[in-house]
Amino acid sequence: MSNNAAKHLFVWGSVLCFVILIVLTVDTMGKLDQRAPEITAEVDAGKKVWHKYDCIGCHTIFGNGSYFAPDMTKVTIRKPKGYLKKFIMNPRLIKPDSAMPVLGLSEKEADNLMAFLDWTSKVDTNGWPPAPILASARMDKTTGAGQVLFYRHDCGACHEIGGIGGVAGPDLTHVGSKHPDMEWHIRHLRSPEAVVPDSAMPSFDHLTDQELREISEYLITLK
Amino acid sequence: MQYQSQKIALNFYTAAVLLFLVQVLVGIIAALQFMWPDFFILNFNTVRTLHINALVVWLLLGMMGATYYVIPEESETELWSVPLAQLQFWATVLAVSLVVIGYIIMGINPQANTQVFGTLLLNEGREYIEAPRWADILIVVSVLLFLLNCFMTVLKTKKFTAVQGVLLGGLTFLALMYLPGMFYTKSMVKDQFWWWWVVHLWVEGSWELIAAALLAFMLHKLLGTDVKVLAKWMYIEVGLVLFTGILGLGHHYYWIGTPGYWLWVGGIFSSLEPIPLLLMVWDAFRTTRDTRGVVSNRVGLYLTVSHAIFNFVGAGLWGVIHTLPQVNKWTHGTQVTTAHGHLAFYGAYVLLIVAMMYVTIPSIRGVKEFNQSRGYQAFWWMTISMIFIVITITGAGMVQTYLERLFGLDYVAVKAGYNLWFWIFRAIFGVGFLVGVLILVVDVLTLGKKASA
Repeated sequence: MSNNAAKHLFVWGSVLCFVILIVLTVDTMGKLDQRAPEITAEVDAGKKVWHKYDCIGCHTIFGNGSYFAPDMTKVTIRKPKGYLKKFIMNPRLIKPDSAMPVLGLSEKEADNLMAFLDWTSKVDTNGWPPAPILASARMDKTTGAGQVLFYRHDCGACHEIGGIGGVAGPDLTHVGSKHPDMEWHIRHLRSPEAVVPDSAMPSFDHLTDQELREISEYLITLK
Repeated sequence: MQYQSQKIALNFYTAAVLLFLVQVLVGIIAALQFMWPDFFILNFNTVRTLHINALVVWLLLGMMGATYYVIPEESETELWSVPLAQLQFWATVLAVSLVVIGYIIMGINPQANTQVFGTLLLNEGREYIEAPRWADILIVVSVLLFLLNCFMTVLKTKKFTAVQGVLLGGLTFLALMYLPGMFYTKSMVKDQFWWWWVVHLWVEGSWELIAAALLAFMLHKLLGTDVKVLAKWMYIEVGLVLFTGILGLGHHYYWIGTPGYWLWVGGIFSSLEPIPLLLMVWDAFRTTRDTRGVVSNRVGLYLTVSHAIFNFVGAGLWGVIHTLPQVNKWTHGTQVTTAHGHLAFYGAYVLLIVAMMYVTIPSIRGVKEFNQSRGYQAFWWMTISMIFIVITITGAGMVQTYLERLFGLDYVAVKAGYNLWFWIFRAIFGVGFLVGVLILVVDVLTLGKKASA
């Protein structure tokens, strides 16, 4: 190949690739709005809060960012929004050993940020992040009615049992030893804040008495 | 040195290595914050912003310095305007200092980052391009002045050599690809879509063009290899870089809310991205082997070949291991990406700029012989430390992928518990890297000075 031929191949080949990129970009831009919910004023305000506090300096979103703190892509699906809002406003009140500092978000900023995170949680991300294989398999193997309810209501998103599960709330591996009283659990599930001050856990008041009893029966077996 | 105006490169090199030192110092602080989040007065996000911004800016300063050296030599004339180059240098230093002060203010008081004329005053809150809009505009002005100076120099003698064609082409592409990061979009998906245009088309596009051009320049300068042969292979390399790299952009569009066809486009094209980088390694070895006679600047050649090797290993191999969607589905957003980022930037660009410094500084200071041992020391301290940093982060990423992504353990549990030893070793090797950088800074500032006195 002569130098000139190599040069022309480089220049025109690159131009062609760039033209293909532009065509794909135009096509993608036309499709993006169908793959995500409508952007309300709150969502946009929340996105600005996300930028203002440089959240991406620690977190990732859609898997892109700083890898120092958890990914936020589907966070409002994985964690209760009430918990998230309380946590964002004062992380160390909710979880004393949290690495997240108090940034000074106002209540309105926190609400807008929730709207933004809720929006990103509903974007079609081609199935990312995938459900963890082992945790999913474990849920299939549950036997008792209380245990089934525990996973159906996604308690494992915040609570660990035997090393698997979230760490947003306390580890429940030995919760039965700490709180052997079933009535305590029922009261706590109905209104967490009435039993544990400053608790960020959502209320499970919408469950029937029977369901609350079954979950509590399961929890006191964890010794 | 043939042309007095090439001296301006020294300003850029000095600022570059000092900023490199800052980058590594804040990098060590960031590494310690993985174990103690409250270790420093600034939170992790600000420290990390300083770490990656210092990197980008010092590499750009290094590229500008190198270009100010290359253009007069290729065009066989003095630079069009030395005062303009000096103005551009000091304006850049001033703008960078203001941005850094802004980051620190925002780090201490997040509320100071307010909206002014629809944009954030101190920090845009977008990774790599955190610099606020007013700074973006200053950066664009600085790069335009720089390009103007270079193009006017080329037009003085109209010697359109292959090296300066690709070099200036890469720099122009670089300037243009900064623009997609300069507007606000309400949709986070579109935000990240355009943001990747900047980040990817810089490091896997325009910067690789600059690297290929500087590689050819260095091989010619060190070994006296025939320019025609070097130019042909350079065109083939940069051609393949862009054929694979432009559409390889798709590997960032797997999971951000973009259509599924990007899985195919990104998977296929980005898998081919290591090929041109391997070709550059072969090019460096072939050229070196074919040379007869003694090379006086051995350390310069050593660094040049090392750049080619680590560009392939860091950007190529460490990238391709997690570029297929089937793999990336599990590794995306984990420490595996961090490991790739570290080795790729080190191999492709840190060693490139350091090599350029060692190839050009002796000639700028007018010495043929200089003490080369410090250059080797700096290289080995940095390289061995970086290899271990990358091994520890790769290990952390694999543990994270298995435990968090496959087993369902919580992110925080994995980071605080299972990966603790990786963070400890990473910080230790970070200090090793700092030793290398300190040696480098001293050497760049003093190299060849005694001999000429």
